[in-house]
Amino acid sequence: MAKNKSKLLITSIITLLLIGGIIIGFTGLETFRGLNLIILILIIAFAIIAFTKAFKKDREIKKGFPAEDEMSNLIKYKAGYHSFMASMYMWLFIFLLKDKFPDTETMLGGGILLSGLISFIITFFVKRNFNENPN
Amino acid sequence: MKTRIKEFRARHNLTQDALALKVGVRRETIVFLEKGKYNPSLKLAYDIAQIFKMKIEDVFLFADK
Repeated sequence: MAKNKSKLLITSIITLLLIGGIIIGFTGLETFRGLNLIILILIIAFAIIAFTKAFKKDREIKKGFPAEDEMSNLIKYKAGYHSFMASMYMWLFIFLLKDKFPDTETMLGGGILLSGLISFIITFFVKRNFNENPN
Repeated sequence: MKTRIKEFRARHNLTQDALALKVGVRRETIVFLEKGKYNPSLKLAYDIAQIFKMKIEDVFLFADK
């Protein structure tokens, strides 16, 4: 188990460096300041998380486990509902502050990334606190 | 809702992984069932009881209100 985790960590770091290197190679270092840097870090973080999840899921499927089952679907539906509601308020907030953004692309891209972040955080907490029998 | 899944698993020498594979769910689901955090569907409860050759009410303990 520990061997697999370190393999995954090494692969993730290499992927991160590769993606970062390609992006910097095409755009140049001076592009990454302030908000652009935060957005880039978030994109790379999401890419790594998605890759890690896909890798883990693929391993489980190869062992014979189903990709989804009744409990994981239930958690997904609950997390999805809460993420949707939170994202609606987030977009409303962004709309109210639209003048603070340098351009529309940054506003939309930031909003999409924040939606992803909200979804990730909410799914984490729904799973952690999942208990149909709290008493 | 409490369950006796862990007890029956030990009796039948089954790991969580093995039981999960037999009933067609993820290992996580078995973990949550054993902790009493998840109420299974009727089909899943039945499948688990069948693995242990027990009745549903022997595996899943419903508290009287």
